[in-house]
Amino acid sequence: MRKPVHLSLALCLPCVLAAAACASAGGTGASAGPVGIVQIAAYTGDQAFEAQFADSIDYPGLYAVTQAGGVLGRKVTLIQVDTRSDPADALTAMGKTLATSSGISGVLGPDSTSAATLVPLLNNRHLPMMITAGEAAYDRSSYAYLWRNVPPDPANGEAIALWAKRQGYASVATVFGTDTGSQGDLPGVVAGVKAVGIKLADQENLTPDQPSYRSAAERLLAARPAAIITESDGPTAATFFGELRQLGSLVPIIGTSGTPSYSYFTPLRGAIGGPSFMRYFRAVVVGNPVVNPAVTAFNAAVLGVQGKLAKPVSQWENNSFSESGYDAIITLALAMDAAHSTDGSVYNRFIMRVTAPGPGKQVVYTYAAGKAALAAGHQIQYVGASGPLLFDGYHNSFGSQAVEEFPANAGAVVVGTITQAQVQALG
Amino acid sequence: MSFYISTLLVYFFVDALLAWALNMQFGWGGIPNFALIMFQAAGAYAAAVVSLGPDTGAGAFQRYVFGSSLPFPLPLVVATLAGGLLALIVGSFSLRRIRRDYQAAILLIVSLIVTGLVTNVVGLVNGSNGLTGVPRPLSGVLSRLTYDGYQWAYAAWTAVIAAAVYLLVARLGSSPWGRALRAVRDNEDAAATIGLNPVSLRLQAFVIGGMICGLSGGLLAEFLASWSPAAWGYAETFAVFTAIILGGVGNTWGVVLGTLLVQVIFLQVPTFLPQVGYTGLIDALQWVLIGSLWLVCLAIRPRGLIPARRPVVSREARR
Amino acid sequence: MLFIQALGFGVITASLIAIGAMGFTIQFGLTNVLNISYAGIMTAGAFAAFIAEELHLPLVLGVVLALTVGAGVTWLLGRTLFAFFARRGAGLFEMVMVTLAVNLILQFGIDAASREQIYRFAFPQGTSLHGGPFTVTVTQLVLIVVAVAVFAGLELLLRRTRLGKALRAMAAEPRLARTCGIPTGRIVNVVWLLSGALAGLAGLAYVINSLSIDASVGTGFLPLVLAAAILGRAGSTRGAVLAALALGVVTEEVAAFGGAAYGSVAGFGILALVLLTRPAAVAGQAAGKVEVTV
Repeated sequence: MRKPVHLSLALCLPCVLAAAACASAGGTGASAGPVGIVQIAAYTGDQAFEAQFADSIDYPGLYAVTQAGGVLGRKVTLIQVDTRSDPADALTAMGKTLATSSGISGVLGPDSTSAATLVPLLNNRHLPMMITAGEAAYDRSSYAYLWRNVPPDPANGEAIALWAKRQGYASVATVFGTDTGSQGDLPGVVAGVKAVGIKLADQENLTPDQPSYRSAAERLLAARPAAIITESDGPTAATFFGELRQLGSLVPIIGTSGTPSYSYFTPLRGAIGGPSFMRYFRAVVVGNPVVNPAVTAFNAAVLGVQGKLAKPVSQWENNSFSESGYDAIITLALAMDAAHSTDGSVYNRFIMRVTAPGPGKQVVYTYAAGKAALAAGHQIQYVGASGPLLFDGYHNSFGSQAVEEFPANAGAVVVGTITQAQVQALG
Repeated sequence: MSFYISTLLVYFFVDALLAWALNMQFGWGGIPNFALIMFQAAGAYAAAVVSLGPDTGAGAFQRYVFGSSLPFPLPLVVATLAGGLLALIVGSFSLRRIRRDYQAAILLIVSLIVTGLVTNVVGLVNGSNGLTGVPRPLSGVLSRLTYDGYQWAYAAWTAVIAAAVYLLVARLGSSPWGRALRAVRDNEDAAATIGLNPVSLRLQAFVIGGMICGLSGGLLAEFLASWSPAAWGYAETFAVFTAIILGGVGNTWGVVLGTLLVQVIFLQVPTFLPQVGYTGLIDALQWVLIGSLWLVCLAIRPRGLIPARRPVVSREARR
Repeated sequence: MLFIQALGFGVITASLIAIGAMGFTIQFGLTNVLNISYAGIMTAGAFAAFIAEELHLPLVLGVVLALTVGAGVTWLLGRTLFAFFARRGAGLFEMVMVTLAVNLILQFGIDAASREQIYRFAFPQGTSLHGGPFTVTVTQLVLIVVAVAVFAGLELLLRRTRLGKALRAMAAEPRLARTCGIPTGRIVNVVWLLSGALAGLAGLAYVINSLSIDASVGTGFLPLVLAAAILGRAGSTRGAVLAALALGVVTEEVAAFGGAAYGSVAGFGILALVLLTRPAAVAGQAAGKVEVTV
């Protein structure tokens, strides 16, 4: 019985030393070294798909800032915090990063998994955060340092419902995977469908990656919906819609903004065939694809860092989610420049100042232009690759949403638009 | 740094509770509870759904049962009861007199099936998205504390609970009940002949352990303000097993040290290593390390788990 | 109508379960080791074929790779790790712990190596065939045929060959078998290889049907495989197939009417019910009589 005690103590010692060593490091805010931007995402675990989206934001954003000479003459570095798809691990990872990294100035994230756990902490540490968490709870957030420039999950669902109403569908069915990413968008769809008065004929929740969904497909066909609203991962969609086609016939399919991606389209196209895909599939995406110099800059940045992004690189060009994140980085950097400080408690209020429209403000589309204009003493409004960032009183900004179709060998083609006002009118 | 340390302290006490529960069930009772983490999850979900407000139906962003907005400390009581209730249900069909390896496999399968159920029946506890926004206990009353101050207060609170549970567990261990339980583990037939009821004793140990796990879950969910299936994968049970094997099965203090070694040191130190390979590679390899550590423990420090030598049939050429 | 169709789906699911359960049961029947790492082997076999497909190697080579990897890893584990612990006197339960640790290593090792992503497994599914109320693709038909072929092959092996008879003798009375001059070491080797190959094949069949692969496929599939093997009595391939049919059909029927979540719950419910009412029939003799044969 003695031996294990000694062994345990012996193993304790290195840890205590490590902890002591770490205690000397750490700290946030203004110092003379590089400016740290933290990216919180799930790099491992169930939601590890977030990692490639995070990369498509971080590397182009940092590239653009670095090319223009950094922030306040200092280099900007990326600090990745892995939530491991688990709030408990997110907390320790964030705590460890805060303790051991110096010069943290801003945060991208937290995501849906870690938001409840990390938002209070980051707010307390006066770290401006551009969250990607879609929970409606943050629509009216009281956290001063929380900013969101992506629509909350319900907004996309409500936009889809409005589009369905416009198309004249009398009834719809929902087909959603039970994975976290897909389920997050379902409540908004259901609420939106009810609000516009369309009948919800059937709801199918698919366990991802099953060998067959024939039972679900049969039930859906029996309910005879005029259209299907869907989000799931690619393989699940391929299996389900492939079987639906075999068992009966396809109806118009409306994908949420979580669907347009290479890993979704390829299996689905393969399963139902190119012509059917083109004929039936539409997606309602957040971020009306704008054409402005910011988009050009973003695409150039993507190409500039293509070695670090998931292949094929073309999926990131004009990707509205990536563009929002890229704009978030540019906004943080410009706010720091405008405030002449990397300390969150100082530059936080400049975030609104560099993005809100106003008389006499110079409109800029790139970080370089914004930095130069600020240096020349002008006030600026940054209009990003996802459009203008119009933060309301609760620090939320989301723009119009676009309905897109996807012809073969071409990118997305916009066939309709739903504005923020229309969505908010639904309540 | 103080934030990091206080977080680790809370996790340490929460994990120590799990270790004592498993020690009671497996170390003293001989029950191979490979579904341990499920009971912690039951407590966590219970605490979450009774301290959250109503979910307001299909339009809200979370769907779950109950939603009773109970104030502290009632959610913890509910969590404890939930863990015990689940243990009662599971125990009543899996604690029959059955080969231990079958029992282990069945408990493991129950854990996997329940994970599947929770993920797919979204209205229960919001499926794979989990629950978020769980109110932190006494945050109104303690609002004068700083953020870090609250962390340390919570760590102190979990320490108090851990101390109370330790006293309970230690008393149970040295009581006639504890001795009877170990007697049943060692020789069920002999124990039955002297009037002990093996099934009943094991069920009691299982339920008490379940209650402790439920309490542990409630504490953790209220600390994290959220809870989702990612937090209770089947592999988490094995971190606890490793802790008690390393620290000394059956030894109440030993498993505390084992928890410190495994849950705190072994799983946190690698995060300080410089990044190798892709982000998260080292984290992903942690379970590989746990499995390897387990094999090493079983090989060199069996601690009474592995009895006398036996012949191995495939080596007959040498005999 | 839905009921009839679900029967068809049930047969397809049953074929997948049956391949895995047959492999598991011949291993379990002989060694008495409830080998949880079987899940990791299934995943490894599936990944071997997936890598072959990514490298654009011919289909047949992918299948062969799945079988080889499954057989090879199982044999290696059996001869080194499991034999090591068995030699040191590990009992039935201790061996389960060993196999669990090995499964952790296998599953999360593959997870780390595959960058923890879910991949799409592109396997030609063939056209759909309609026969009355049933709809099935060519590939699914092939999988059913494969399951039947495996069963037939095993029946032939176990009942008609000397190896098979020796195997059954060993499963019943290991020590007696050795004193009778049966080459027990060689038979154990064959069982590792054969059951490992079937594990690899089962994993591959599963991902062919689901069209996606990640490191957790084996562990997800294991409960049904285990349930079928346990229900069907350890060592009995006929029992495994019957149990697989029952589980497959019940799972699909419940899924058709109640939703996918309740499908596997129902399947496992059968096992729990049988264990509750007739434990001896399924769980076998008391632990004292059964020992690890490795």
